[in-house]
Amino acid sequence: MTDSITDNRRAPPVGGRMATPDCATQKHVPGEVGIWLFVAGDLLVFSAFFVVIALGYREQTELFAQSRTTLDMWVGVLNTFFLLTGSWFVAKGVESCRQAHGAASSRYISLGILFGLLFVANKSFEWGLKIANGVTPKTNDFFMYFFSFTGIHLVHVLVGLGVLLVVRNVSRRPELSKKDIRTIESGATFWHLVDLLWIVLFSLFYLL
Amino acid sequence: MQTTVNDPLFRKSMRFCAWSGYMAVIFYIIGGVILGGMTPPLLNSGEAPEVFVRKITDNQFQIQIASVFMMISFALFGSFGAGIAAQTRRFETNPVFSYVQIVFTAGGQVIALLVAFSWALMAFRPETYHPTVVMMFTDFAYFCALFSVPLFGGWCVMIALPILVAEEGKEPFPRWVAYVNLWAALLYIPGQLILFFKTGPFAWHGFVALWIPYIAYFAWIWIMSAAMSKVAKAAGNEPVVGGARSAAGSVA
Repeated sequence: MTDSITDNRRAPPVGGRMATPDCATQKHVPGEVGIWLFVAGDLLVFSAFFVVIALGYREQTELFAQSRTTLDMWVGVLNTFFLLTGSWFVAKGVESCRQAHGAASSRYISLGILFGLLFVANKSFEWGLKIANGVTPKTNDFFMYFFSFTGIHLVHVLVGLGVLLVVRNVSRRPELSKKDIRTIESGATFWHLVDLLWIVLFSLFYLL
Repeated sequence: MQTTVNDPLFRKSMRFCAWSGYMAVIFYIIGGVILGGMTPPLLNSGEAPEVFVRKITDNQFQIQIASVFMMISFALFGSFGAGIAAQTRRFETNPVFSYVQIVFTAGGQVIALLVAFSWALMAFRPETYHPTVVMMFTDFAYFCALFSVPLFGGWCVMIALPILVAEEGKEPFPRWVAYVNLWAALLYIPGQLILFFKTGPFAWHGFVALWIPYIAYFAWIWIMSAAMSKVAKAAGNEPVVGGARSAAGSVA
């Protein structure tokens, strides 16, 4: 996560912008207020999704428990590993942009993108295998939820990859302005949200 | 194009466009919620065609009146969307996004009007049409409203992009408005699932595929209308020629 930092941590200035003494003691909010509004909104909706899944579990406990055993937990574990590692690289990239901006910054973001792509590949492999075995969203309610909610999450991952590409392009600029840093932090925040949502989905579908 | 700062006619026009949005929501609540049975859904995607016909026949006059209200509501999308494009246009030297927004507005309005057309036809002579035809009109209405994610979502993205890529202090709307638009676009996505399910939360009468996109859509109209009202009061974003905008949004 892009932890809260104080503005003075950004010194020496990136892109020639120096933090003013006034704000040196203020808490720095990564990105901007809007992205946090977005994060809160998305979390709210996913919370509703999680309630829908939980209700499904309660109504059809046996079916859900039985269906869950057909999921390969290690595929889920691998996907969690891909996203967490990707997020770690993105966080390193953001830190690098803030402090000692150089070629390493965009390399970290590129590694984040690579791990995101590995997630997509692994998810496609998992889905492909299920569909080849005749398991589809129409098989039962568990798989209806599984395919739909992980599908909506996959859309988030794809959007996130697009956002990371923008972040990567910005991070390659020789000098970063305050606005560039804001863009990088906002993009990274979205990627961490994607990560967080997956961890809850993973717990609900593979572990419970 | 950054034009004159104090333009009373522009303010009146923006107020009109903002009120188009507010009225669109109010007319939809009357037509689609109170009278028409669209949300909450009177019909259920998994029911037999004969059940559709019975329910529609029982509420025929009410649904017909509702269709008129829905038609008015959706017709107002045009001036609502044009207002957003007009404000975007004020900040463009060479217009691109404002034109794109106009295209999405027109597309969105036409598809929305088809919802009202289909709802009206569904209740036109259900006793004469074959039940499956009545059912198809209902399906068509919900598909126009919910399955058109790239159109309505794309519209939101086209509003968000010019705000996000604008130079500091030259955004047509406050930056948080861009994020609200992106959030709305994401909330429409479950609407695409109605193609695959006839029962459960992902069917066109379900919680995830119907309620989330619908609430997001009408909340989005309300928020964008409020943003336009702020511009109309000269307390919102104004184009500045060689000056700086004050914290309150007024111009130097």
